[in-house]
Amino acid sequence: MSDTGRGRLFLENAAKAAAGTHAVSGTEELLASLGRIVAMDSPVYCPGVTELEKAAAPLFPVRAAEFAAAAVTVEEVFGAVAETGTIVCVSTGGRAVQAGLLPAHHVAIVRRERVFDTLDDLFAAVAGAPPTNLTLVTGPSRTADIELTLAIGVHGPERLDIILV
Amino acid sequence: MSHEQTSLAFRKNTVRALEDSALRAAMKQATDTFGTKRADAFAPVADLEALRDRASAIRDDVLANLPMYVDRFVASATRAGAVVHRAEDAAAARETIRGILADRGARRIVKGKSMVSEEVDLNSHLEAAGMEVVETDLGEYIIQLEGETPSHIIVPAIHKNRRQVGRLFADRLGVPYSDDPQVLTKIARKALREKFLSADAGISGANFAATDTGSIVLLTNEGNGRMVTSVPPLHVAILSVEKMLPSLADLPAFLRLLPRSATGQTITSYVSVITGPRTPGEATGAKELHIVLLDNGRTEILAGESRDILKCIRCGACMNVCPVYRSVGGHAYGWTYPGPMGMILTTLLTGMRNSHPLVDASTLCGACVEVCPVRVPLVDLILGLRRRKVCEGFAGRGERRGMAVFGRAAASPGLFALAQRLAGAFWPLARSLGGKDVAGRMPAPAKTPLRRRMP
Repeated sequence: MSDTGRGRLFLENAAKAAAGTHAVSGTEELLASLGRIVAMDSPVYCPGVTELEKAAAPLFPVRAAEFAAAAVTVEEVFGAVAETGTIVCVSTGGRAVQAGLLPAHHVAIVRRERVFDTLDDLFAAVAGAPPTNLTLVTGPSRTADIELTLAIGVHGPERLDIILV
Repeated sequence: MSHEQTSLAFRKNTVRALEDSALRAAMKQATDTFGTKRADAFAPVADLEALRDRASAIRDDVLANLPMYVDRFVASATRAGAVVHRAEDAAAARETIRGILADRGARRIVKGKSMVSEEVDLNSHLEAAGMEVVETDLGEYIIQLEGETPSHIIVPAIHKNRRQVGRLFADRLGVPYSDDPQVLTKIARKALREKFLSADAGISGANFAATDTGSIVLLTNEGNGRMVTSVPPLHVAILSVEKMLPSLADLPAFLRLLPRSATGQTITSYVSVITGPRTPGEATGAKELHIVLLDNGRTEILAGESRDILKCIRCGACMNVCPVYRSVGGHAYGWTYPGPMGMILTTLLTGMRNSHPLVDASTLCGACVEVCPVRVPLVDLILGLRRRKVCEGFAGRGERRGMAVFGRAAASPGLFALAQRLAGAFWPLARSLGGKDVAGRMPAPAKTPLRRRMP
């Protein structure tokens, strides 16, 4: 599959799972997109470790030092899977996978070249030495435990936005 | 509780369940919805049969080499830094977990959904030891507040409607009454968030265990599974030995089958693959990871003629299509696992003496076999258990005599025709003597028998 086709399929499937999806090219567009998505008056946790995170971090006037105290987490994630519209979060490099779990809004930045075609491709890449925690995230937290009626935002984020760069 | 917690009461429980109109309405609505969602989810999967074959073959391989795979998992998980405990039976599992928690002074425990923990009755044991155990899956939270047990392995509170949940939350949590699932969900989120952040330990189950990497895999939607396994400093996972997958690379086939079969989702919101505890320099995961591998009769099942039930990956699709389960719900079965897979597993795990009425809980229609993603031959297994029931002397005298008479008549066309005529003639009498039970449940014999209507 071409890079563009793979990226498009990924965002299509992510949207089907109720994620907000955004495609940008370059840092400038990324920052503009973040400006539209993130509520600037709420505390934002951004690790500021990767290049894209470093570029994004100064954008937020209220920074939360701890993700537990944040309303929003903005982070670059390990990768994504086109087949299922899934983002992939891992614990390597001292990254806290829970940062994308506790705040009510999770904004995940994905680099286009980090999108895998299928689940098989992803697991072939990580199965040799999996990280302590590898979490596949598809859409926001949900339940249907009451009369099988879909309710969004149980214990995890009620809003997931994905920005494909 | 309206149902007796023993499978010996199955008949009595079914009669009571059939009279409970709220239960029947909830079951019908839920299982119909499941059926539609499952069909929609599988529709775009091009080579579904090949996928089922592949998953079935992987599960066959696991069972054929189970001791080897379990040893390999123990070695891999240990290498990754987890502490693995083998538990022979339910009592050993309970005591092992209580010991782990007590040794570390853990008092406040948050728990993710785990049917194996229900099987060993873990909560009451920990509560008796003075620990606070909070179920955090919304469905489990609801039934824990109500003091009930799950009635479905995927949707534990499937038997309750939104008004019952609303009243329960108002009574027990002191919140204003609402019957809006979105509002009720937010109430649970708030109540449980505090529990997660202050917990000393988390207990989870696992859907799969990969033997090459020592990873445990959890499929969840709410995020409570992620909380339980990564927020408290101590994580204890309990799983039964047959949950092995040879390799983490085998997981995608099951990720495609399990959520579609269970809830009609392409994939669950979250799939957590946990390999060992947090290592120095890491910021994710419990500092200590203990994995309790439960046998509780599996090794014995593996050696017998019902071994294929251990292929089951607990999706619940068989119960959603079962005409018996759909009518009576999960509590009537009297133990942890209901529906077709449940009646088989219950009989094997608790013994024929404690569960023999359950082997009748099937019409042998085969709907379960059609939907099983890993091709468990459920009908063959049920027939095998029925043979065992008769051979072991648990069939009633009436049933044995009746079957003997039927056997002779069915072997002789003349005798069969005579019996049919007699049945027709004596029907009004049987109806008046048997009362509502017979008249309500048994159809009257046809005026013209089927064999005479066939060309």
